[in-house]
Parts: sequence; C-alpha cells; structure tokens
Amino acid sequence: MRDAYIVGAGQSKYGAFPDESYRSLFATAFEEALGSAGGVEAADIDEAVVGSLGVGGRQLGLSGPAVTEHVGLHGVPCSRIENACAASGYAVRQAVQAVKSGMADVALAGGYEVMTDMSGDVAKYWLGVSGETEWERLTGTTFAGVYAQMASAYLDAYDASPDHFSKVAVKNHANGAKNPKAHLGFECSLDDARSAPVVADPLNLYHCCPTSDGAAAVLVASEDVASACDDAVRVAGVGAASERVGLFQRDSYTAVESSERAAAAAYEMAGLGPDDVDFAEVHDCFAIAELLAYEDLGFCERGHAPELVDSGATELGGDLPVNPSGGLKSKGHPIGATGAGQVVEAFKQLGGRAGDRQVSGANVGLTHNVGGSGGAAVVHVLEGGAL
Amino acid sequence: MSADDSARATPGIAGVGAYVPRLSLPASAYREAWGKGGAPGVERVAVADADEDTLTMATEAGRRALDAAGVDASDIGHLAFATTTPPNDEEESAVRLVSLLGVAPSVPTRQFGGSTRAGAVALAATVEATRDSDAGAGTGSGGPALVVVADSPRGAPESDEAAGAGAGAAALVLTDDAPLAVDAVGEFGDPAPGTRFRGFGSAETESIGVTQYERDAYTRAVGGAVEALGIDVAELDPDAVALTAPDGKLPYRAAAALGVEPARIAAGTVVSRTGDTGAAGPFLGLASALADSEDDAAGDESNGRSPATSVLLVGYGGGAGATALALSTRASDAASDASATSATSAVPVEADLDGDVELTYAEALRRRGTITGGEPAGGGAYVSVPTWKRTIPQRHRLVAGECTECGALSFPPEGACPDCGSLAGYDDATLPGTGTVEAATAIGQGGAPPEFVEQQQRAGSFPVAVVAFDGPDGEADDRAVSAPAQVVHSPAGTPAIGDRVEAVPRRIYEQEGVVRYGFKVVPTEARRE
Repeated sequence: MRDAYIVGAGQSKYGAFPDESYRSLFATAFEEALGSAGGVEAADIDEAVVGSLGVGGRQLGLSGPAVTEHVGLHGVPCSRIENACAASGYAVRQAVQAVKSGMADVALAGGYEVMTDMSGDVAKYWLGVSGETEWERLTGTTFAGVYAQMASAYLDAYDASPDHFSKVAVKNHANGAKNPKAHLGFECSLDDARSAPVVADPLNLYHCCPTSDGAAAVLVASEDVASACDDAVRVAGVGAASERVGLFQRDSYTAVESSERAAAAAYEMAGLGPDDVDFAEVHDCFAIAELLAYEDLGFCERGHAPELVDSGATELGGDLPVNPSGGLKSKGHPIGATGAGQVVEAFKQLGGRAGDRQVSGANVGLTHNVGGSGGAAVVHVLEGGAL
Repeated sequence: MSADDSARATPGIAGVGAYVPRLSLPASAYREAWGKGGAPGVERVAVADADEDTLTMATEAGRRALDAAGVDASDIGHLAFATTTPPNDEEESAVRLVSLLGVAPSVPTRQFGGSTRAGAVALAATVEATRDSDAGAGTGSGGPALVVVADSPRGAPESDEAAGAGAGAAALVLTDDAPLAVDAVGEFGDPAPGTRFRGFGSAETESIGVTQYERDAYTRAVGGAVEALGIDVAELDPDAVALTAPDGKLPYRAAAALGVEPARIAAGTVVSRTGDTGAAGPFLGLASALADSEDDAAGDESNGRSPATSVLLVGYGGGAGATALALSTRASDAASDASATSATSAVPVEADLDGDVELTYAEALRRRGTITGGEPAGGGAYVSVPTWKRTIPQRHRLVAGECTECGALSFPPEGACPDCGSLAGYDDATLPGTGTVEAATAIGQGGAPPEFVEQQQRAGSFPVAVVAFDGPDGEADDRAVSAPAQVVHSPAGTPAIGDRVEAVPRRIYEQEGVVRYGFKVVPTEARRE
C-alpha cells in the first residue's frame, strides 16, 4: 500500500463557547486545516470521515454530512465514526486507509463536540453513555468512577501514590499555559493539584479533564499530492484495537490492552519503537490514564510510570515530552474532536510551528486516543521532514 | 382447626429468619427535632435505607429463615407474603420475592395485605392450605412452606404514626414434623372504623386519634381472637406473647384481657427496639422470643430469658380484627428422651433485630425520601424493562454461566467465553455471593449519574467496586468471575482491594415507575455479628 501524509491540520479553540455551534466550530477547524495545507484546495477532497459522540443528542443521525455540507464540501461522501472519545482518532485512521488503499487522494478527517451548553445533570448522563451500560453504569459509576477503580487497582499493585496523578496535572497545565487554544490554559501548583475536591476516590478534580466544546480537522493525502504541499508529515504507522467495554470484563485493570495492541501494531508498521519517539500526545482523560499510557505505549516497564513522572522526562524539555499541547487535562476534551486534535498538535510540532511549547528536534511523534475506559484505542506514529 | 385434628399431620415452624435494617433513629433525636416525645415505649425506630423496601427486607428475612431451617429455596412448595406496604399497591410482589429467593416459579404464591393483621392471616392460611393438601408441608411433593412478613409503615411527618414508624421483616419455614407446632388458630372481627387506616393511593397511615376507643378496639379484637382459639391460655402458659405493636404501650393493655403477665408480653415484643413494624411486628417478637438464651449468641445483651417453648402470636389490624395462633413445642421422640432439655431453643433462628448505625432526624428524613427530589431532568441511562427482565436471574440470584467448551465462568452468561472465546454457550452456575474486591472507588455526593441522583440525595456518597465473585463452590472454588457492584455499609468508605464482601438484595434504581431489584455487596467484616 502507498504512503499517506498529513498535509494540513487545524482546530478551533477548546473551551466553553455559548455563541458557537458544532457546525461553526467545525468550520473554524476546517478553515485552519485548509489554510495550513498550501497546495490543497477544498475541491480536491474526495472523502470525509467525522468523529463525534453526539453529546447532548443535537444531531445524532447524519452528523457527518451535516458538518461537511456546512463547510461547502457539497456531495463529498462523509461518514461519521462513533467510538466514544476515540471517535476522531479512528476518523484519522479511516482517512489514512482511504488514501493508502488508493480510493482517495485527499481525505478529510475531523471531529467535533459541544459539551458545555447543558445542565450538569444532562452532561453527567452523556458522560456515562460510553461505560458498559447494563452492568457497570447501573452500579452508579461515572466515567471518573471507572478510571478511579483502575487507579485503585494501580495504587494497590505498584509503588505509586496520588501525588503522581497530581504531578501529571501540574505538567500538563504547564504545557497548556503555552497553548493559546487550550481550554484551561493556566498553570497549577502541586499544592493546588493535591488539595482539589475529590471526584471519585482516589481521583480529585485536578486528576480529571474538563468537558469542552471544540473541533479539529486533518487533511490526509497521497504522496503525489503531499509532494506539492508546504508541509507534509508521513503517517509512518497506525494501529487500532478494541477491548471489552466493561472494566469488570477485562483481564487486567492496570493495563489497557487495546492501547498496548494498537501501539504494537503502529510501531510494527512504522518499523520504529518507543525509543524512537520524540514526543507523544496521549489520552490523559484522567491522570491515571496518562500513567497507564506510558506503560501501554512502551515508554517504560509495567509499574514504572511513577518513576518516569518523578524523573521529569515527560515534561517539556525532558527526554520524551508527553502532551506538549496540555493534553486533555489542560488543552481540553471535546470528545469527538480529541483524537484529530492530537494529530493537529503533532502536525504543528513536526513542522516546528508549536511556538513556546515546541519540542526541540521533534522528528517522530506519537498520538494515542482512547475510547471510554479502553474499549477502543488508536495510535498513530508520525514522521516529519520525510518529503 | 382445633386440637382434636391431631390425628392429621400439623405443620409447624422449622426455622425463623428476621431482618431489621441497620439504620435507626433514636427517640432522643426525634425529641430534639420536634421538642416532644416520640411514640410511647419506643426507644428507637428502624429506618430502611434508601435502597431498601419491604421486598428487599423480605428477601433478607426469607434467606435467613431458609438458612436457619437448612432448607433449599428450590424445595419450597408454598410461599406466602404479607405486607401492608408493598413496593406497588398493585403488582405481584410475591412473584418477585419468589425470584429473589430462588423458589420455583410453579410454586403457589399467596399475597396478603390490607391491614397489619396480614402476617398472622398469612400464617393461618398457610397452615390451613398445606395441612389440607395431599402433599402436606412436609416431605411430600409439596415441600416446606415459607411465610414472609415485611412492613415499613409511614405516617404524615408530624403524626404519631410517623413518630413510631419502623421497618422490618420476618420469615418462617413450615414443615410437618417441625419442632414448634401450630396448635390452634382463633379469629375475631368487630367493626371499629378509624382506628388505623390508609386511604386509597395514600402512603401515610393515620387514625382518628380517639385514644380510649382505639385501646378498646385493640383489646377487644386481640382478646376475642385468643378466646376463639378454644384453648385455655393458662394451660398453654405461653413463655412469650407476640402481639401487633403500633407502640410500646398498647400490647400491655391486652395483658389483663389475655390473663398473662406483662413479662410474657415483653418476651414477645420488640417494638421498643424497632418501632412499629406493622404486620411484621408479632413475627419479629416471635423471632426474638425463640432466639432468647441466657448467653445470647445473637449478640444482644442477655436478658436472662430461656428460649420460648410456647408462644401466643396475635396479629391485629385496625378496623378491627385479629388472628391468634397458639404455638407450642411438639412432643417428639427426641424430646421425650431423658437427655433432651427445654433450655435450648427448639427452633433454629437467624435474626438481625438491632440496628447498629444511628441517624439524625434529618438523615432519617433523607433516607425515607421525605425531603428529597426524584430523578433530575435529562433522564438516566436507559435500560429498557424487557432488557432488564432478561437479566433477572443474574440480578436476583447471581446466576453465572459455565462455558460448555472450557468450563470458565462468565458473568453475565452471554457472548463469547472470556477465556476460550467460544460461542458454544453456558450452563447455569449459581454463585454463592461471596467475593473479593478487585478495584474500588466512591462516587462523591453530587457526582452520581442522573439515575442515581435520588439515591445519593437520600444516602450520600456511595462506593462502587469490581468484585471477583467466588465460583459455585465458594471460597474453595479456584474459579472466580468479576462483576461490578455498589457497596453498602462500608464503614471505611471506599473498601480496600482484597476485602471480602457478600451480596445483598437491594433496589438498584427506579425508572418509568418500575423499581429494578438487584444485588449490592456488604463488606464481610462489616456484617452484623
């Protein structure tokens, strides 16, 4: 199969925007993506794949065409992917497949979500829809609750403490404070992160990402198209895997098997390994998820994520910066946009256009997007300067 | 029935179970809140938790009775359920109880209600039904009978009824050869309107409050039913008299009419510890009297009484009527042996009669739902009732599956085997309900998803665990299967990983007006001694 390249990527700001609609947010992301792709025009787009959970139920049916027709991609086939928080990571993967297979020369992948225009009770309903519904959800667990259960198992199994969760929050806020598009773009102290109110024991508010509005868009193209573009990032590897939706159905509560499988597949396709990765955007919906990601992605051995956090290696300026964008914690988590948004950050980093948060010498970047508590995961390994 | 029927096998009581909620409101808290005393002679009232009702309490009592009698639920041949406060005014509660207990669906069920006499009526009717059947209540094809009585009366918050309202359930296993025989049944009815009643569609019991009129109605009905027994009370010489007890004074007013010492009434009365438990009152009194022993193993303070060998049980219902049953230890071959003593209880009893968690008045109002709202706008996770119905064996009785291919356990038993991936299917494998916490959290107050908001308003933060349930052979089984469950009565809040837990029947949530029953778990360490 031929290679696929990211030739443009953009996103709206993430945050709470009462004056914006899901369509207008998507239009902002699309325009930025198109603007960043010198050499590709809207009329070149053969195919579109859009990710959204549909929080609030605003356009559950046909939400793909609803946004692509809105931005003028009249007639372009568009399908919507629903894989909870991994929706648009999977949308990027679908676009890569379309280009690699030869069915499309230019494919648009993106995602959107609006999560802040509803009452807390309605939001809590929607936040729980990706847990296993009949059993897990009906014990009264929330999304935070399931990750808290994973955190409890992790703290029991390894030499770790809730302080490690707080340190992840401090790091990601420090990065997000340098990202003008971040939802919570402020720094926080370790004391702030330690003393926040408990949400689901042992996770406190600073161990949980916010709910955000936002959209992201990525243009994937063939080598022929990419060679005429200003910037092109090669999709060196892509991997994805599913896992049983309910935590109680899994073999392990301290590892996300779908992430592990997705990473292994992406590394294999890329012919690269974790040691080759210069930075990563990982799915830190909860601080425990970032620790698990370090291990699932092979950045360290099982049980050694706390050491990696303590070493500072994953901070900006460390050996392996993780979530230079601020991650879900600080940049924000508009569910359907998150996975594509990670690729937007990687595109910027690999093009050397990430401003104050630029990872120096970034050549290989990894994005890691997880749905629910691990029912779906998708990993991309992206390589800059390839053309 | 009268004593000259003795040629026929007479059903008797082979085991007794009792369950009173762990939460209680002390009279002092009521006094502090209202600036007046509560119900006369009541030191504390039991309060059902936010996820308990008469059906969950009935299940708890039923399981204890079966356990005490050493009888399998699947062997039960007749089930009677009595309550004045079923979860729904109209709907088969007894059928849900059958499922929660694991009694066979083909077993005849009889539901009784309408007045606090209902429990005694249920017992009398069950004795009559099983006595007359060809099978009997013994070892024949009919099998033992189970009588379960549960009640959780309510009153308007400012009323005397509310001041005394308690909660509890008791259950009796009946067999032909049981040690405590039902010797006689007596009934009496005489209109006394306004003494204790509840209007159509109302949740609150009331009375017109004419004190002497109500006392007279009570003593007349109770006395009349005992007289109708056709036996000499002095000759029966009951160790305990177990009467319906709306408060802690009324039962004693019947002492003179019955010709018994107040101490005998005290021996069969628990209202001071539980509050008004409606139809269940006399049965909780019976359980207490049979459980009495000089060094009480149940953990109550020893009252120095020996277990009762004869009991007079009388159910009274406002309006007014009463049903009396005379119970006495059957002379058996064993009992006539010189080695037999009368100092140990003839009937095995498994009873939790005392709460161990005291509430403030405001907490009690929250638990009862008096001052809380319902499900918030926005709706909850939607699991359709037919979908829920398909999982009832799992929710009610923890029926897991054993893969027909590899023998691994699966819960719920559907889809591909988690071990070998086979779609061959599963054989039923009922789990005993014991297990070990594998992962746990607590959902903080205000953090619950919409369908659990009302529970959280009533009872606050709740822990949720993933539990590795022991296989069918219990702890000895080297297989386990995981399922998520809420944790109740966890003194430490979030349970620790590795803690042992046991399943208990609870209301899970209510949607579309339909209560969904299932299991939660209680830490084994925190079980009542």
